[in-house]
Amino acid sequence: MAEIDIAAAQPSRPSGLAANKLAANLFALLFLVAWEAASYVAPDYLIPGPVPVAQRLAAFVTSRHDLGHLGASLFHVAAAIAVSFVIGSLLALIPYYVPVSRFAIERRIGPFLNAFSAIGWTLLSIMWFGVTPLTVIFAISAVLVPFALVNMSAGLANVDSEFIEMAGSFTRRRGRMFALVIVPSLYPFIFATLRIMFGVAWKVTLTAELFGGNSGLGYMINLSRQEFDTTTIFAAIILIIAFVHCMDRYVLAPLQAGVSRHYAS
Amino acid sequence: MPAERAIVPFAFAERFFGEGAVALAVFGWWAAAHRLPEFILPGPLPVARRLLELFITPAFLQDAWTSTWRVLVSIVLALVIGGGLAFLAHGAPSLEGIVDRRIKPVLNSFPSIGWAILAAIWFNPGSFGVIFVETAILIPFCLINIAEGLRNIDRELMEMGQSFTRRRLRILWRLTFPLLVPYGLSAVRIAYGVAWKIALVAELLGATDGLGYLMLRAQTAADSTTFLATCFAIVLIFVAGERLVIVPLERRFARR
Repeated sequence: MAEIDIAAAQPSRPSGLAANKLAANLFALLFLVAWEAASYVAPDYLIPGPVPVAQRLAAFVTSRHDLGHLGASLFHVAAAIAVSFVIGSLLALIPYYVPVSRFAIERRIGPFLNAFSAIGWTLLSIMWFGVTPLTVIFAISAVLVPFALVNMSAGLANVDSEFIEMAGSFTRRRGRMFALVIVPSLYPFIFATLRIMFGVAWKVTLTAELFGGNSGLGYMINLSRQEFDTTTIFAAIILIIAFVHCMDRYVLAPLQAGVSRHYAS
Repeated sequence: MPAERAIVPFAFAERFFGEGAVALAVFGWWAAAHRLPEFILPGPLPVARRLLELFITPAFLQDAWTSTWRVLVSIVLALVIGGGLAFLAHGAPSLEGIVDRRIKPVLNSFPSIGWAILAAIWFNPGSFGVIFVETAILIPFCLINIAEGLRNIDRELMEMGQSFTRRRLRILWRLTFPLLVPYGLSAVRIAYGVAWKIALVAELLGATDGLGYLMLRAQTAADSTTFLATCFAIVLIFVAGERLVIVPLERRFARR
């Protein structure tokens, strides 16, 4: 009886999914129509229509100059993630190996870094380093360090103590134990951390570039703002949304799922 | 017993080490400031003095209050809109695709400065624009948390509720909302942090008051002392709000 039920229920599920997809696409279409209508009512510098924005987007992805700014932003994000991941992980490892420092890291340094605003870091680094890529990377890294610290601390707290004991019976060399036991059991956390950091980095990067950069999409948006070139601003925002979403959905999420399946059990 | 006795001196050593690290950091700051000009890095003493001055200056308190109420209103709005979207997707399966595959990814990947710039173009400088930007930035965090809560609701509890009443509003009020409280609180906690740390950018571009504007003004005037004091004031306000409001709320609802 149950088997028949399942067999009967199956055809309705794909049709439900299709309806869902149809509704989603209809919504997107409706949104485009509303946008087009709004662009007729409002002047170009307030809301440019979808067609000019699409043309600007096409020009964007074929222009070396514009792609250079995208490349600069990518470089800022990658460099900042690398720097802050290393610093955050080191900060998380200190209390693991030197327990007496736990209070200092978890109750003093961590909360302070966590409460300091991104704008504060950005404007502060402009005063310190001027308008350079270093400013942008410093500001993003400062914002990302607490994320790496919190996540990697959680990962270290979750390392199975029986694994450590077992490894201790095989070797006394701490470096070997770290590389062969602790790091592999941290893999799921490492990927989760990198994924969160990637999302947050994009939220902060453009701000840092807008105020303290001389390259990157944030800098480009700032120039367009001064020239009331709203079409370019729209195109840049759409490009970022598409890029961040595709990266997260098609690269980071499958990677993380694969790693979790492999190591977390 | 011996283990307990060993823990007490260890806790003391930990504490000593922690406060020592803070003292060392302040000393390092003082030593660095000693060699650098004041507009690059003012010393800890002038900054502390300015911080005290700020908290007794009515104009600063006005700005702090302006930023605070904007943050609070934005969190409430984001919770209502994000929660509403999550409920729509949960209640009407045909809308699930719209919320999950169209609205959520776009809002989640939308750069915060994008909202700030658009608001600066669309609206006059003022509270409305700032609240618009902060709400737009916070909505995805609330949406994701509440949707997670709705997904984890115990089906059996809902069935039990339905066996007592057929009134959906009564079930919503007596069952769904109380079950969602922990997720709502975690949304509020995240939104509160993001609002103070990231969404404050709204006040840099589209406001003529508030702490963000104050920071930008101090930075443009190369008044590093006021700038750093404002940064620390934000840290203090943020931590005070978290310790005095969010943590007690979480503790109260966790006990139930």
